[in-house]
Parts: sequence; structure tokens; C-alpha cells
Amino acid sequence: MTFPAERPEATPAMNTPEQRAAGDRVLLYVRGLGIRPARGLALAARSLEEAPSSPEGAMDALERLLREEGFSPDLLDRGGRRISSFPPLNRTVMVAEEMDRLPWRTSLVRFLRRWRRELFGGKTNG
Amino acid sequence: MADGGPVPAWRRTGSRRRLLLLFIVLIPTIISSNTMARLLPDRGSILLDTFLVAVFTTLFAWISVGFWTSIAGLVILLTKKDAYRVSRACDGLDLSIADRSARTAILIPIYNEEVKRVIAGLRTTYHSVRETGSLEWFDFFLLSDTTDPDVWVEEEEAWHRFCIEESAFGRVFYRKRTSNTKRKSGNVADFCRRWGKSYRYMAVFDADSIMTGETLVRLVQIMEARPDIGILQTPPKAVNRETLIARVQQFANHVYGPLLAAGLHFWQLGDAQYCGHNALIRVEPFMKHCELPRLPGKGPLSGDILSHDYVESALMCRAGYGIWLTYDLKGSWEETPPTLIDELKRDRRWCQGNLQHTRLLFTRGFFPAHRALFINGILSYGSALLWLIFLTINSAQAISEVLFEPVYMPILRKFLPELPVWRPHWAISLLGSTTLLLFLPKFLGAFPILLADFKARLYGGKIRLFLSILLEVVLSMILTPIRMVFHSLFVVSTLLGKSVGWGTQSRDDRGTTWREALRAHWWGSLLGIGWGAVVYWITPSFFWWISPITFSLALSAPISVFTGRAAVGRLFRKAGLFLIPEEVELPPPLRALEDNLSRPDPFFPFPFSRKKGFLRAVVDPLVHSLHTSLLLRFRRGAPSRERARDRIVEKALACGPDSLTRKERMALLRAPHHLRELHRKVWRLGDEKAAARWGLVPPEKK
Repeated sequence: MTFPAERPEATPAMNTPEQRAAGDRVLLYVRGLGIRPARGLALAARSLEEAPSSPEGAMDALERLLREEGFSPDLLDRGGRRISSFPPLNRTVMVAEEMDRLPWRTSLVRFLRRWRRELFGGKTNG
Repeated sequence: MADGGPVPAWRRTGSRRRLLLLFIVLIPTIISSNTMARLLPDRGSILLDTFLVAVFTTLFAWISVGFWTSIAGLVILLTKKDAYRVSRACDGLDLSIADRSARTAILIPIYNEEVKRVIAGLRTTYHSVRETGSLEWFDFFLLSDTTDPDVWVEEEEAWHRFCIEESAFGRVFYRKRTSNTKRKSGNVADFCRRWGKSYRYMAVFDADSIMTGETLVRLVQIMEARPDIGILQTPPKAVNRETLIARVQQFANHVYGPLLAAGLHFWQLGDAQYCGHNALIRVEPFMKHCELPRLPGKGPLSGDILSHDYVESALMCRAGYGIWLTYDLKGSWEETPPTLIDELKRDRRWCQGNLQHTRLLFTRGFFPAHRALFINGILSYGSALLWLIFLTINSAQAISEVLFEPVYMPILRKFLPELPVWRPHWAISLLGSTTLLLFLPKFLGAFPILLADFKARLYGGKIRLFLSILLEVVLSMILTPIRMVFHSLFVVSTLLGKSVGWGTQSRDDRGTTWREALRAHWWGSLLGIGWGAVVYWITPSFFWWISPITFSLALSAPISVFTGRAAVGRLFRKAGLFLIPEEVELPPPLRALEDNLSRPDPFFPFPFSRKKGFLRAVVDPLVHSLHTSLLLRFRRGAPSRERARDRIVEKALACGPDSLTRKERMALLRAPHHLRELHRKVWRLGDEKAAARWGLVPPEKK
């Protein structure tokens, strides 16, 4: 990966380490934003022109410029609302089934009755 | 089916078939147990002999069920006559869903999984459904219970990228739960409570599941035609692994699986079991009847129900809906654990879950078939302990025969001595019948391939198919003693109150290192060496009978390493052994999965791994923006919590991201305001060293 700082001609004059750090920082940020290189470089250059002496000043300038350009800190959907990863809620409840508290004897009687019915009695539907 | 209503025809047939199964299992079991009892040398220890016979009886009955299931499956597959085949409902239908309201949610619950694999699987199924032309009936939900902050952010980013690439916003959704209550079943229930009402069906996947669009549409068609069905389970085929043990499992799944699936269908019909994934569920009755309670009390057999699928199917049946196995539907795949240790880790969890079912055996309203399934699940692990006890008692008896004088006159008033009578033909018959029950189903599995489908070529040819079965038998004989001691340990430790955690299953072919193998198997090896040495020292003639078990245990670490190697698995594949059709002719969905897995990652400008999700959520402007936007809750927390988060931000700025614990990272990821503050401050760091910790300095300058 090549960093923009290795190409000093890409940014305005960066003589001190702070200026170089500021240049690196804003260029990395615009690359991270994934915007078109020409537009990104222009934004970086403008922010460095405004505050070239420190990363903090340059980033403040870049943030202001991005806001002016219409960048939102939120990802928005087509309706201009903050993006959501799931559909609108359609809530209901689920109630846990009753289990684990029944005497063995009752179950055994039910089991024998059901089997007798299924094997020997009752109508079928198929 | 409410009590007193008409009994479905299949239910009566099912009851008769199960009665038949009971007879054909019980009668040979009684005869063999009687033979076993007569074979035991009478040393006056009636209690020990009775116990030995009881254990033998249980184990013999257990393996008989598997044998008769395979026979029933073979008959169905060869004759192709099955009046109750559930897929009849979609015979002759084209690939479309008539009712527009029959919407299906495809649920992919995930927990710290390899994100690339999950998304590749999602993309494969998504494309396949789209190709059927029925995409508008299906929505996809990634339901995350992930606890790793890096994986959480990676999941979000992957979901977002997927939606952009496939234009799938509004069709593919992502939901991250804050708490992991009730694990996977809780995750699915959480979906049901929030969005269940919007869907008629839900297809539950595992993280590694693949299902074709055609299969999903067919499942919906069957459910539409049969409103009495609550759950439709497909038999997923195991694929995609390369280690030896996984390839052997895949082979067994392909050769013996169809027989067992058809056989199970024969006995179970509409009382089948839900396996927890690769199944279609009718949402409304599921929501009404299948919410699981916490089992009251303390200890490992209480709390959340771990093996939830068995219980959910029992509850669904109790509510009057059938659970059917579509044994003849294709296009459903899963992946197996790649190593023996991964398999045992999974078994540890399943063991505790299955033993919990002892508390549910007599729950009111459950159908006998489901109680039998509970017993079957319990015996899956309990049988290992019984077998270990059986072998231990056998060894103890062999040793006692050497150490103690035989008693020929157990009752002094008798005039004649009781001489031990050795009946070798009985012993051989017993051994033969047991071997037949164990191994014949494996060879029967080849019959449908050789006779009905003429697909032996897809298994490497007839000779290689036969050789592979033989080798699979040998390998399972080597692995079974190792599984036996581990499963016995799991049963005992569960009953003694040791609970299990919720580990992520490894889903790659990285193999087992020697260190991992020795750490896992040292005690098994010592047991095998000790057992073998004692028996050999006292009764060398008996040693050779027990040697397959003791050798296997003694060598368990190298066996674990060897069988977990992908290179060994590939070597066998090169030799045409353990081949499965998917390895010979890769089906289009699996080819698509491979292609999706090898998709290049998009451009990433930062000098750290893109897998460092937390770092990306702080630094990467797009990921940060996505993460904070998705949190939605921009309300401030309680003052004490806010102060705690302030301190985490200060710590992060002063000492860098590596200084934060997982808990602190999760706390920050859940706090969008603090994350935004941290993002702003990190990008404004003037100190080069501090900025380097956040990946904001080119590597050459560090």
C-alpha cells in the first residue's frame, strides 16, 4: 500500500513533521471515505490550505468541508432516515409451554389410552 | 390433532409399524441376552452377571434399532414404493408459489462465525432463490449472537456490502441481539417475537448451511398443500471438508445416510424429528406452541434447554402438527466438524442437551415417538458409558478368573460339582449376530447406489466404493473407543454438575496440532496403556481380545492428529477413496459457494487487518458511520454508565485499542455517542506514537 505522504507533490508544501502528519491524516481519511480520488484530493488540499500546521486543525477543516459538501456522519436511506438493518417491527408474544412438572403415572395412563385409540379405535381421515 | 378428533391415517400406520419394530427388536434381543447369560462363566457372582446381561441387552436392542431402520430404508429405496412420501405434494408442480401471502423468512443464526463463509453461503442461497423467480416470497435474516467485538463489526460491514452489491436492501436483514438468552433457540424466538407475524414460514439454517432455491420452493409448496405439517426437515448432505475424518463422515453420510433417512421416515412418518437446521417451519404454530421454558432447578440438567430441536418437534407434534422428513429432496447441504477434537467439543454440548431430556420424558401430551426420540438421544451418549462399563466388567471378570480359585461346589449340600461348560458355537453365533447388526447396514448402503441409481462412478467406481466402506469400518473401529471414553466422561461430568460453555464450532480445515491433541487425549492414552498393561500382565490370552480398544486409546493423540489433517484427506481423495458425488461433479450451488468464497475483498486503505473490526469501527470513516447509524439508540445512558464509558474512552486514547478488554470494546461499540467522540479524537491525535496505535501512521514511519 502506498501512502500519499510518500508523494509530496500531491499535497501543498509540507515542511515540518506536523504538516506531513496533517497531510497523511486528511489523505487517509478521504481514502477511507471511498470518494472519487480527484474529489478526495481536492478536499484534502483545501483542508490543508486552511489549517496545514497540525492533524487536529486539518481534520477540523476537513470535517467542516465534508459537511458543506453534504456528507452526513450517519448513513441514510433513500427516505433520508438513518439506515436500519432490519424491517419495521411487527411484535407479538411467545409464551413458554408448561413442562417438567407432571407426575409419571398420569403420563403413562395417557400414553396407553392414546396408543389403544390409535391402534384399535376411532375414525381415520385418510 | 386435538384429543378425540379423527386420527390421521399415517398415525395409525405409524403406530403399527412401531409395534412391528418393537417386536423385531425385542425378540432377537431376548434370545441374544439369554445366550449371553448362558455363556457367562458362573462364579457365583449373580449380581455382576445380571448387570452384565442387562448392559448387553440394552446395547443389543440399541444397535438392533439401527439395523432394522437400515433394512426398512433399503426396502423403500429399492422398491420406490412409499404411500406416505411427503414430497408427493409437489409432484408435477412447476417452480412457483401460488399464494402471494406465503412468505418465508430464511434465518441464519450466527455466533462468532467466519464472516466470509457466512456471507458466501448467504450469497449462494440468495442467487439460487433468485434464479427460481420466487425471490419476492423470501426474506433473509442474519441473526447474530456474536460476542466478539471484531466479528460484530465485520458482520455489519459484510451485510452492508452484500446489500449494496446485490441491491438487497429490504430483502436481506441483519439483527444483533444484545443478550444471548437461550442461545440459538432464543435467537430464533427473538425473531419470531419481532417479525414472525409477517411470515407464514421460516427456514432455519446453520452458519454453514446451503439450500438451493428449488428445494426451498418445493418445501413451501409441500407446506402449502399440507396444512397439517408443522415442520419439514430435509436430510442435509455433508460436504466441503478435506480432513480425513471429515471426508470419512461425508462418505458415511452419503452412503449410509439415505438408507437411515428413508428408514427413519418409515418408522416415524409424521412424528419425525427436527434437527435444528435445514428445515422449513410453519411460523404461527411454532410461535404459539414451541417457546421453550427454562427447566427449573439448579445444575446442568436445568436452565436453558440446549438440544432445543428435539423438544420443539415434540411440542409441535403435541400441538397437532406433523413433523416430516423429506428424505428424497436434494439440494440441502451442511458441513461436518473438521477434526476429532472439534467433533468431541460439539458432542460435549449435545450430550448435556440430550441428558436434559431425561426430565422431559414424561411431559404431558408428548407423543410416544418423541419420547422414544428422547431416549434415543440420551442413549447416543449413555450407550458409550454402558459399553465402557461392559468392557470394564469383562476385563475384571477375566482377571478374577486368573486370580481366584474356581468354585465348583457353590452349594455344599450338592453331591456333584458344577463344572464350567464352554459353548464355542453359541459364542460365535452371538459374536456373528452382533457383528451383522453393526456392519451389515454399512454394506447395505451401497445397494441403492449399485442397483437403483447406477451412480457408483460418483463414488469412485464399484471397487473403490467397496474399499471405502471397508476402510470406513476400520476407521470407525479405531475411532469408536476414543469416542467411547470421551462420551462416557461427558455423561459422568454432566451428571456430576459440570456445565458447558457455548463454543464456536471450527469450520475450516486447519487440523489439530500435536499440542492440542496431547492436551485433549493424554488421559485417554494413559487409560489405554494402563488398562492394556494390567490385562496383559495378568491374563495375556484375554489381552488380545481387548487390544483393539486399548491400542486405539493408547494411540489416541496421533490418531487425532492424523485424521485431522487435510493433506491426508486429499491423499485418500487422490486415490479415489471416500469419494462423494459432490467431489466428483461439483453441483452448481457448491461451485457458486467456492466462487463466492474466493471473491476479492474490496479496497482497504488502512495499514491493519480488515478483520480488526473494533479498530475499523473507531477509525474507518465508513464502517464507523455504518455502525453508529445502525445502533439507532442515541439516547444517553444512566450517568454512572456514561461516566464508565467516558473512562474507557480516556483509556483508549491514552493507551491505544490494545489496552481495552473485550468487555470494554463491547461497551464502546454499544455507545454511539462515545464512539463518535473517540473517532473524532483519534483522527486528531497529534502524537505520532498514539496515532500509530490506531493505524493512522504509514508502516514505514512507525
